[in-house]
Amino acid sequence: MSTSNQRPVVIVMIEDDEGHARLIEKNVRRAGVNNEIRHFADGTSALQFLRSSETTANGPLLILLDLNLPDMTGIDILTILKHHDRLKRAPVIVLTTTDDKVEIQRCYDLGCNVYITKPVDYDTFATAIRQLGLFLSVMQVPDA
Amino acid sequence: MTGMLAKSSAVRNEILMLILGFAALVGVAGASVWLVSKSDDFNRQVAVTLETKNEIVRTLSLTQDAETGQRGYLLTNEDRYLRPYRRAMEQIADHIRRLGELVAPEGPQRADFEALRAAVKVKFDELSETVGLSTSGKRDEALAIVMSDRGREAMQQVRQLVAQMTVREDRTLAERTDDAARLSNGLLAVVVLGLLIAGALAFVAQMLVRRQTRVLAAAQEELAQANQGLEAAVTERTSELLAANAEIQRFAYIVSHDLRAPLVNVMGFTSELDAARAVLKEQLDELTESVPDKIKPETREAVEVDLPEAIGFIRTSTSKMDRLINAILRLSREGRRVVTPESVSVSEMANGIAATLHQQTTAVGAEIVVDPAMPALVTDRLSIEQIFQNLIENAVKYLDPARPGRIEIRGRRIGPQVEYTIEDNGRGIDARDHERVFELFRRAGAQDKPGEGLGLAFVRASVRRLGGTISLTSEAGKGSSFHLTFPAVLRPQTETQAAA
Repeated sequence: MSTSNQRPVVIVMIEDDEGHARLIEKNVRRAGVNNEIRHFADGTSALQFLRSSETTANGPLLILLDLNLPDMTGIDILTILKHHDRLKRAPVIVLTTTDDKVEIQRCYDLGCNVYITKPVDYDTFATAIRQLGLFLSVMQVPDA
Repeated sequence: MTGMLAKSSAVRNEILMLILGFAALVGVAGASVWLVSKSDDFNRQVAVTLETKNEIVRTLSLTQDAETGQRGYLLTNEDRYLRPYRRAMEQIADHIRRLGELVAPEGPQRADFEALRAAVKVKFDELSETVGLSTSGKRDEALAIVMSDRGREAMQQVRQLVAQMTVREDRTLAERTDDAARLSNGLLAVVVLGLLIAGALAFVAQMLVRRQTRVLAAAQEELAQANQGLEAAVTERTSELLAANAEIQRFAYIVSHDLRAPLVNVMGFTSELDAARAVLKEQLDELTESVPDKIKPETREAVEVDLPEAIGFIRTSTSKMDRLINAILRLSREGRRVVTPESVSVSEMANGIAATLHQQTTAVGAEIVVDPAMPALVTDRLSIEQIFQNLIENAVKYLDPARPGRIEIRGRRIGPQVEYTIEDNGRGIDARDHERVFELFRRAGAQDKPGEGLGLAFVRASVRRLGGTISLTSEAGKGSSFHLTFPAVLRPQTETQAAA
């Protein structure tokens, strides 16, 4: 991140599909974002990490969240995050295959900051991720 | 089956009983009529007997009157004593004649009557002879005739005969009176019998009617129960069907949704492959310039031809698969959408659709004719619009370029239903494809127009959701007609059940 006087933002990616995770990471890197990316394949381990005192004490977080997870839905995780005293300020970017209007609406209602549909058309997807990377490089993330 | 037979034979028996009862009643009525006429006869005979007796007695009294008059005249020689005699002389012939008519033509009474007539004649001859002699002054001769006892004997004979005849008539009268009494007793008995039969008949008929009513009521109850069972069964099936339908919708949604995730990977990593190929190609180009001998032609072909071709096929296949998945997703989403019935003017709506297609129709010289008086519907506006949009667009899309296109949209009300027809003179659909065109991803005829084979599948799913049906009449090369039938008023009840 460009802001040198802050601790670097840690990107927490909660995504059960290894392929998607890899593609997202590749494209984020291509956009020139070199922040640490912590990848979790299920909601339980992700929440365990997020709630640990070490994490809450250590620097700002940015969360990339998939809605379809094996153990719980992304909506559940979003709800938990937005009711957590410290985590509620961490920006959440929902990245999922669903373009159902009702579901998108719900995510925004719950406090999601950005919603990105994973399109099958990869170029669009890659572009979206790269733009997200650019977005990440300029945004100010509060200290969680 | 046996129950029905038993029932029908019971009905036959009942009818037979009723017929027998009525026959008995008719018999009783006939008998009483006969008896009444018979008793009339008897009464007439009794009257005859009474008159006969009366005439007999009268004959005697007239004879006595005549004798009394003769005696008085002979004693007093005064004419006024002759008055009873004269009256008797005047009347006796009539009474004898009448008596002759009344007495039976044969038998002892007739014999006695003939004797009586003779005796009366002898007596009256004697009387007139003596009166005549006395009138002409020969009183002694008259007395001599009286003294001859001729008149007295005749008189005695008359008395005796009258007594005999009277007794006989009395006997006859008694007999006839007895007969009449018996007859009227019989009549009474017959009438009582008739009443009894009528009463019995009424009782039996009422019993039959009661039984029939009971049987009917039982049958009705049975029917009502059967109906209730049927209704329950229908409700149960319907809710099962709705549940199954909802299940399929959810299934389609989940499947299509989950199919997309791997597709994202296929597409993404294909692009990664392409990016890697680009890197290889760059390196290859550099090497070609510096050390051209080291590059095998197979390597160049692999990088420049084989890889792009493979990547190209993967991409077209994935994007096609993506379109299909999107189609399923759209269908299932449409199925999950809650329909909200509202009043829709179908003519107005069809005109609106025709207007949006104006450019396309004028380009091919076609026209869309909308019946301005189509019945309105209470239904889901979005769904009905999509249905008409799809069908009209299809009609425009598949017009036959050989003739000017004409698309006609009309509607009519049939009871609680409304039928709409969208008719075109386009290329038509072969009879064996009439069912197939409604299936997902299936298309008929020459595949010269873009499309996924979704439109009609989507239309049929939507029509069914609106409680309607769709059918097709078409002949290849002539044109097609799509017939839509909807309930005039869509009840949202099935939808709330589907959502539950």
